[in-house]
Formats: sequence, C-alpha cells, structure tokens
Amino acid sequence: MNETVVLKNLHIKDGKNTLVSNTSLTIEKGDIYGLVGESGSGKTLTAKAIINLLPEGLKFTADEINVAGKNILKASQNEVTMYIGKNAGYIPQNTVFFLHPMIKIKNQIADGYVHHMKRSKAEGLKISLQLLDMVGFENPESILNFYPWQLSGGMRQRVNIAMALMNNPAFIIADEPTTALDSTVQKQVMELFKKINGDTGISILLISHDLSLIKHYCLKIGVMYAGQIVESGYSKDIFENPKHPYTQLLIKMMPTMNIKKNEPIPEIKGFVPEKGRDSQGCLFKERCPFAMDVCGISVKEHNDSGHYYRCNLY
Amino acid sequence: MKKNLSIALGIFLVIIILTVCLLSFIYMPHEPNEMNISQKFLKPGVNSEYILGTDNFGRDILSRIMYGSRNVLLVGIGSVSLGTFIGIILGAIAAINNKLLSAVIMRIMDGLMAFPGILLALMLVTVVGRGIKGSVIAISIFMVPVFSRLVYSMILDTENLLYIKAARSYGSSNLTIFMRHYIPAMLPRLVTQFSSAIGSAVMIETSLSFLGLGIQPPFASWGLMLSESRQFFLNYPYLAVAPGIAIIMTVLGFILIGDGLNDMLIHRRSDDE
Amino acid sequence: MLKYVLNRVKSSLVILLVVSMITFFVLMIIPGNPAQLILGTDATAEAIEDLRIAMGLDRPYYQQYLGWLLDLLKFDLGTSYIYGEAVTSLIIRAIPVTFSIAVFAMLIATITALFFGILSAVKKDSIIDYFSRSIMQLGTAIPSFWIGMVFIVYFGLRLKWFPISGFVPISSSFAGFLKSIALPAIVLAIGETGTLLRIVRSSMLDSLKQDYMDAARIKGLNKWKIYMKYALRGALIAPVTIIGMQFAKLAGGTVVVETIFALPGIGRLVLTAVERRDIVLLQGLVMFITTTVIFITLMVDLLIMTINPRIKSVERGE
Repeated sequence: MNETVVLKNLHIKDGKNTLVSNTSLTIEKGDIYGLVGESGSGKTLTAKAIINLLPEGLKFTADEINVAGKNILKASQNEVTMYIGKNAGYIPQNTVFFLHPMIKIKNQIADGYVHHMKRSKAEGLKISLQLLDMVGFENPESILNFYPWQLSGGMRQRVNIAMALMNNPAFIIADEPTTALDSTVQKQVMELFKKINGDTGISILLISHDLSLIKHYCLKIGVMYAGQIVESGYSKDIFENPKHPYTQLLIKMMPTMNIKKNEPIPEIKGFVPEKGRDSQGCLFKERCPFAMDVCGISVKEHNDSGHYYRCNLY
Repeated sequence: MKKNLSIALGIFLVIIILTVCLLSFIYMPHEPNEMNISQKFLKPGVNSEYILGTDNFGRDILSRIMYGSRNVLLVGIGSVSLGTFIGIILGAIAAINNKLLSAVIMRIMDGLMAFPGILLALMLVTVVGRGIKGSVIAISIFMVPVFSRLVYSMILDTENLLYIKAARSYGSSNLTIFMRHYIPAMLPRLVTQFSSAIGSAVMIETSLSFLGLGIQPPFASWGLMLSESRQFFLNYPYLAVAPGIAIIMTVLGFILIGDGLNDMLIHRRSDDE
Repeated sequence: MLKYVLNRVKSSLVILLVVSMITFFVLMIIPGNPAQLILGTDATAEAIEDLRIAMGLDRPYYQQYLGWLLDLLKFDLGTSYIYGEAVTSLIIRAIPVTFSIAVFAMLIATITALFFGILSAVKKDSIIDYFSRSIMQLGTAIPSFWIGMVFIVYFGLRLKWFPISGFVPISSSFAGFLKSIALPAIVLAIGETGTLLRIVRSSMLDSLKQDYMDAARIKGLNKWKIYMKYALRGALIAPVTIIGMQFAKLAGGTVVVETIFALPGIGRLVLTAVERRDIVLLQGLVMFITTTVIFITLMVDLLIMTINPRIKSVERGE
C-alpha cells in the first residue's frame, strides 16, 4: 500500500450549484502534493472533503476517498471522525482564530492526542513540548502558557503545525499555510514543512495559489480550475511541458526576479466561473485563447504516463 | 418561514385585542362597574349572561376585561408614541448638533438608562400622581432613552451615506434632510422597536396597576383586576384567569411582531452583504 | 489597558452624577410640603414652617442639592419620615433578602438558559430549538405577579411545599431560607430566562462558525466536548454581559415579587416610600439602587476585559 490518499471522482454541491466536479487525486506515501489554482477554484473544498470537514449544507459524492488505507466512505460518521482525527492533520490559512483565542495553548494543543491515544494530559503535554521544540521554539514550556493572541502569526502557525502532528498522522493538509505571514516567516514555515516531510515521511497536501512555492516544494502537482483538476502529474513534467492552456498561462505569469520596473504583469482576462460548473464541456473555454466550438460540448482527457490533462487541443 | 409565523401570530393576537377594545365602545354585555351582589362569584359558563363570570362585587368580568383593554392600549400605545416622539427629537438633536449639547443629552439618557426596571416609572408616578396621566408620563419617559439612543446611533451610522452627502451638497436644510432621508431610512428599525416597546409598556402599566399605582378603582384595569382577585384567589381561581390571559396575549402579540420584524431586518442586512 | 479601566470608571462616575441630579430634581418638584407630610394635617402653620427651615427646605435648590450630595458621599442618606430611622440602616436590613432572591433567580435563569440555549443552537431549526424558544418567549410575556399568584396558591396553599410569605434568614435555618426564597426566585427567573436564552443561542451559533471549531473537529473530539469546551467558551462574552445586567436589575429590588410574597426587601421599601410619599427614603433608595446597578455593570465590563483576550489583542492593534 503506497498511497496515503486516493480520491476518486469527487463532486461537491451547494444545493443545486456544483462547486467541484470530476476531481481525482492520489498522494503517495512521503510525497508533498501541490494543489494550485486561483481563489474560488475549489482547492480548499477538495481538501476539506478528504478530511470530512466540509461546511454544513454542502453535499458531496465520490467513488472513493481512501485515507491511509481506509475507504472512509464505507465507515460510519463516528468512525470517520475518530479515524480522521487520529490519522490526518490540518493547517489553516488564517491563523488568527484557528487556535481558540480564549484558551491557553496548553489546554488545547493536546486534546486530540489525549482523546485518541487514551493518554493523560501530562503525557500529551510531554509530546507537545517535543513537537514545539521540533517546530523551532526555543522555549516550549513558556509557549504552552500563552494565549494564542500573545503569539505572532508565524508562531501561531508553528503551534498549529505542532498541533497537527500530535497523533503522528499519516498525512497533513496545509491550506495556504503561509498566505497570512510575511515573506521571511513564509520561508521558515515552508522549510519546516520540508524538514518534517524529510524526517518523518509524512505525506503533505499543500494548497497554494503561489506557483513558485509549489514548484519549489512539490514532487507532484494538480492544477485546479473552476472546481476541476485540469492538469496533474510530476511537477517537473508540468513545468517543462505544460499542456493545458490555463497551466501555460499560469506559468507564463509566474513572477520572476527579473521583471523590469513598470513592465506590466500579465494576467488572464475574465473570471473563474461560479455557475455552470456541471457542464460536460471545458470550463476554461470563456477565457481560453485557443477555444474551439467543441470545447463547449465535451472535453478530451489525456494521460501520458502519469501526466494528466483535459483539453481538446491534443 | 418561522419568522413569518411569529409575525403572523403576533398580528393575530394584536388584532384580537384591538377588536375587543373597539367593540367596547359599541357594545359591552354589562356596565363594567355595575355591582350586583346577588350575582357575585359566578363561575364562568354557569350563567349565560355572565360568560366569564362575576367578581366579588358581582361585576361582569367580560365587560371589565373589555373596558380594561381601553386603558391598557391607551397607556401602552400613548406612552410609547410620546416616548418615541421625544426620543427621536432628542436623539436627532444630539446626533446633528455640537459636541456640548450632544454630550449633555446623551449623558442624561445614560443616566435614565441606569434606573432598572420599573424604578423610574415608580419614581415618576410619585411625582405626577397615580392614574392614567401618571402612567403615561412615567412610561413615556422610561421609553425616551431607548429611542433617542437608537436614533442617535442610526444617524451617526448613516451620516456618511452618499445620498445624504449629496442632499447636503444641494444645500438642503437639516430639517429637510432629516424628514426626507433619515426618517425613511430609520423607519424599519423604529417600527420594530416601537412594537417591542409597546409590549414592555403594557407590562409596566399592568405592574403599576397591580401595585395600585396605576388606574384607580372602581375603574377596570387588568392589573388592578388581578390585584383585587388576590384575596379570593384560593377559592375562586378563575378570577385571575381572564385578566392574566388578556395581559399575556397583548404583551406576547406586540413582542412577537417586534421580534419577527427584527429577524427580518437582520436577515435583510445579511443578504445585502 | 489601564487607560480603558480608568475611562470606564470615569464614565460610571459621570452617569452616577447625572443620576443623582435626575433623582434629586425630579423628586424636588413633587407637590406637597414634606414638613406637612411629617407633621400631619393637624399641625399649625408655624410648626410646619419651623420644620421646613430646620430641614433646610427654604434654601435654594442648588444648595439643597450640594448638601444632599455631600451627605451621600458620607453614606448619610437621611432619615425616613415614616420609619423615623436612618435610611442607610433600613437598606442594610433589606439587602440580604433582595440579594438572596436575585442570586438564586439568576442561578436558575442561567442554568436553564445555558442548557436550552446550547441545545437550541446545536440542534438549530429542530423541534427542540423551536419548542424551547417558544416556551421561553412565552415566559417573558407572563407577568410575574400573575405567575406569582398561581405559585402561591398551588405550591404554597394547596401542596404546602413552600411558605407563601416572609423571609427566613440563612442564619436561623438554611432549609427554611431556601424554602422562603424558592418561589420568588423561580418567578423572577421565568421572566429573565427568555432574553438570556436568546443571547446564549445566538452567540453559540456565531461561535460554531468560527475557525477554532474546524480545529476542534479535525481533532476528532467527541461532539459534546467540542460544544462545551470550544464553542461555549467562545460564546460566553455576550451572555456574561447580559447576566450581569439582569443581576444588577434584580439586585436593585424587585418590587412586584417582593410585594406578592411579602418579603421585607429593597423593592418593598421602594413601594412603601412611593405609596406614603416618603421622599427622603425614596431618594436614598433610588441612589442606592442605581449605584448598585452602575457598580455591577462596571464590574462585569472589567471582568469581561480580563476573560476576553480579543479586547486586549484589538487594543494592541492586531
């Protein structure tokens, strides 16, 4: 069993409105998988569907959601809650209220551990000290006595990471983990993920709209657009030979260090469609420079030895 | 769905009370103060002439309830209208005028708000005297800070709205702007508050009458009827049923309308976002 | 933070000053001569005039006010006409009664409102939600004097579970004390629970939407543990404020309930002062009650500042 996460044919609906469709992805053991796309493309919803954290009111269907060897679609709601709580971690984009603002760190960090591992709170705090040390705190004991609001954003995010690692999970989701942080802290946090991944072999699903970040840290990536993965595969293949026009445009507008002053930054015209995501055609049609009539009706799927893309150009 | 249900129930209850009140001017089965000692303590339903029975003086309870509705509604609606009127004026003056006047008015409002429950009403009744006039004045002053604060904060909130700035730039006078722009903008919340306030006013009025500080005997008032029934309550509990239900229906009716409207307002505001 | 505390204290003192002016000047315009009230109708005009001067009622209003204010600062509230006793000692004797029923009423109201409020929020739009909200709404519309009468007859006279009047001090018998305040406390609680329940429910609903609920859910904790530890903790601020305001209101005397149950509390004193037009007693009571309310409100605000880190973090500009 080499896959940590297998997601097949996910659909998410808000009432009649489709938000995510035909989405599949596989994360292998020890991989960092990058999910990239504009905001509103369904990255977070896809990730939340995997860990059973979709907001109330949203309905999803899938052929398979396998996490660390267990198809959670076949388990009862209580089993899923327990199983995910033990085997998966989540690191949020916004760090402000993810830790409960009115509870000291020491009174919330070990809750999951104590619950799942059936240990005492003292043992939980011992593990948290080790993890806080691992995520780079020099004085973990004093961190435990703080309220979250007494920490900076970067420190809060490291506490979140430590909290996600408490049960030694098989995989964690990092949902735009550095967006709210300033750039030097961003780098520290990302290096921390890389180190954890290297040390423990934990699989990571990294969600970001920042292509350069994904390129730098991920072995495999998936490009999401309007609730679908339009291209996926090894990062190397995709960056060297992007097939989907959307991916091509994204790569083209990646900010590079040598943009000259006053040179306009290229952009993709138009907006990510909110409606009509259940169409059988290509959802990128409206904004695609190569759009053909057939794109409104159907779309071809390709798989060149692991490099997947959906486009009628090929 | 549920919000509409609560407004509908509220309107239904209020309409019943209003109908009873209007009917009392056209027809009452008996003179409400007419005593008939031979018919005293008739239980409801025993004598078809006295549907809700009679009290310790043989007075017809139904007629007294009908007559009492006039006092309750007069005091309730009258005092809240008066309080709203004064409150709007003071709130508007405080919001539009200079710092000193505004501070003086708002501090007085804070002071009035510090009187808990019916204490302010009790103090004012002591000064103005018992009876309808006393109740109306006492309760209306109780309502003034509620409305002036509401108006004050709403005006400050809307001060920067474009159309009001536009009107100012045309050189419209403060009064014109107030009547044309602020009042319509504030109307939904004022109506909501108005309805809930009548609920509280009725509660205060009946409390005052119950304590013997409102409408004076022999005139009928629901609170007074309950107070008079106290000494006979053990043997004739039905005496307290009709006035109690009348009070609950009235208070609940106005509160439900206010709550329903409030929920609708919150809903509308969150839809706008 | 210190600045916030000082500002709050300052504005409380201003309100208190305003309240003292309202109280004094409103009760000043009262018709009837206090000296006449004391001496009765048989007294000669001369005697009344002498007493008026002795009481300082011939001085200009502002002088009378300042004198009264100075006395207030020395905790001297004057002497009641009708009891012929210092207002302060009358109040001190009444405090335990009113305070006991206020505490128990708020205990009952808080427990009920928390239980049904949390349940309503967690099971939003269910039968339980609808039912508990309807019942509580009905509770706010029922006059306390009516429910009080029903309780007296049913629990007091028919079942004889509770005494129907009077107050037993806690020092003479604890069981007797509890019995003597149970009915009045329940009657008061019925009136207060509805408002509180509504606040608990809406803050819970708000708290349930926060990010920390995601954090708690992903930990896979037991549902009720999540609700009680995370959601409730985040939802406490507004209810604590309301509980404080309600308690302050009740501690300021509950005229109606104390009247029905013949309890010798603050509310009973207020009603006597109003009925007999004892202006000195009424002035003293009003000042005592409003000061209590303002003081409790201030304490609750400061308490919330310490339990709510968000206020502090906002002040730090985060």
